[in-house]
Amino acid sequence: MHELNWGLPVILYLFLAGVGAGAVTVSSSVLLRGGGGIFGGNSFAIARAGALVGPLPVILGTTLIVFELGQPFRALNLFKLINLSPMNIGSWLLGLFMTISVLYALAFVPTFFPKLKHLDERLKAPREALAWICVPLGLGVAVYTGVMLGAMPARPLWNSPVLAFLFMISALSTGVAMITLSRTLFHQNRLDSEPERRIESRRDTGRIGRRFIEGEYVLTASDLLLIGMELMIIFLFIMFAHLTVGDVKHAAAVLLPGGDLATMFWLGVVLVGLALPALAELIYVVPKLVYHRQFSVPRRIEIAVATAVLFGGFALRYVVVVAGQVTSPVTL
Amino acid sequence: MTYRNDQHVAHRPHEEPEMIDQQKSVEGRRAFMKKIAGGAALATAAAAAAPSVVSAAKQAVAEPQRAKHYGMVIDTRRCIGCHSCSVACKAEFDVPLGKTRSWVEYTEKGTYPNVARHFLPRLCNHCSNPPCVYVCPTGATYKRPQDGIVVVNTGNCIGCKYCVQACPYDARFLNPVTGFADKCDFCIHRVSNGLEPSCVVSCVGGARIFGDINDPDSEVARVMAKNPVTVLRPGMGTEPNVYYIGADHSDEKANDQGGYDVRVTTHRQEKKRR
Repeated sequence: MHELNWGLPVILYLFLAGVGAGAVTVSSSVLLRGGGGIFGGNSFAIARAGALVGPLPVILGTTLIVFELGQPFRALNLFKLINLSPMNIGSWLLGLFMTISVLYALAFVPTFFPKLKHLDERLKAPREALAWICVPLGLGVAVYTGVMLGAMPARPLWNSPVLAFLFMISALSTGVAMITLSRTLFHQNRLDSEPERRIESRRDTGRIGRRFIEGEYVLTASDLLLIGMELMIIFLFIMFAHLTVGDVKHAAAVLLPGGDLATMFWLGVVLVGLALPALAELIYVVPKLVYHRQFSVPRRIEIAVATAVLFGGFALRYVVVVAGQVTSPVTL
Repeated sequence: MTYRNDQHVAHRPHEEPEMIDQQKSVEGRRAFMKKIAGGAALATAAAAAAPSVVSAAKQAVAEPQRAKHYGMVIDTRRCIGCHSCSVACKAEFDVPLGKTRSWVEYTEKGTYPNVARHFLPRLCNHCSNPPCVYVCPTGATYKRPQDGIVVVNTGNCIGCKYCVQACPYDARFLNPVTGFADKCDFCIHRVSNGLEPSCVVSCVGGARIFGDINDPDSEVARVMAKNPVTVLRPGMGTEPNVYYIGADHSDEKANDQGGYDVRVTTHRQEKKRR
């Protein structure tokens, strides 16, 4: 029997911190770059959704691990010094990120109240300044979770630079899913109040729930790209683990067919979390990409894809954290 | 049984950080004063007696005590698997139920009639490159510069279990009573008072030899010099300071690679070897 020293609270934290950091990073970059030019008017709405939704999971996840310590106030000891422990650097990043991202979210609040238009105007510059800080901080929080696991030779499955990269891409992908989900769930009616930010809908599909917004296309297409990269990283990770000999090969066997976590990994992470959402996104992205048709995704598909991506992100953290702890170096 | 008469230094885990810190600061102050007092005299003495290393060493009485490098040699040929060390350790530190700072693993291998059982006493390796120290986010665990013992300062520990994950020897655990990381500390309260660790004095076969590896006259250094010694998981690069004579390094995980049957019993409840 192997001990799981890091259990569900830590797994949830890694997932939630990734989602939140990803959402804020995507929001900030969308606000700053406007989606690279083809974004139309609703990049601001996407940035706002990400900014408002992002800090919540990070704060929730942090609360979880702080209380998991058993002595919550002890966590302050982390801020008594700076050392090269990934957890220490991560704590500083996380503390900064939570502060800045909450300020960044607050800077969007006046946009909901037409009466506060003058305040909104004045907040434009600070909002962008905060966004510039949020991008590196968000990426830092997303990456450090993987670095933290990877810093230990005693855990051969984790001890790989590609893990941090995988966690970062997964954070961005789940961040996009969180933004999409929150927009589909809460912003359905809001869109009508932003006519200038909405692109003409096609005549034959005037049904409720079908929306045609350029910004959604860029988000979905980016998510497709991110998922493609995740699949590639997972393929490379498994392939190289299999090509080597010794500790890593032995550890990776737990994920390969016949291993204890194989079902969860291949069905939960790869199929439900990555392959199926990517396929669904591909079906809707290709007509726009290749034939320049109008981009439209039914609401239920949008919700299903976002949910599957979020589930996949959680399953990935779960499988990686558990697999790392049930495997160890082969020789004594 | 003189070693049992050290009640005044009985170990109380929650008082340890203060004890260690005070000790350190006092020693630091003393060393500083000595340096100031003896510095000038030493400089001239060293310049005068430069060619003779031995005489220079003898003259350097005022020099602060040379750093010790505590280590242990475990001669598994002398181990009978009686768990005296585990019991002594449990008693010494009142280690909570189900947790172990020191334990004895049994390695059984072969198929009848070619079978054997080997004993492998385990403890913290007090590595020269301790991964637990490198990952500790609060600096709570550190390697003492004066003797190389890896200790946990419970005053700073937050109980994040990062060190428990990082140890390739599974020598660390979260103390369920205190909530802090816990592990073997070479009986720091005994060692700093000139006694040997509890597991060493209780070993019935004399399998455990403890001492200063830096001192060529110490028993541990002599045994290391005269015998082939190995360390556990040398590939981890941790450079352990617990050496073994005649240790059986076979592991259950090698079973699927063919060869012989190996069964490892850790005697840590149902816990498998990491």
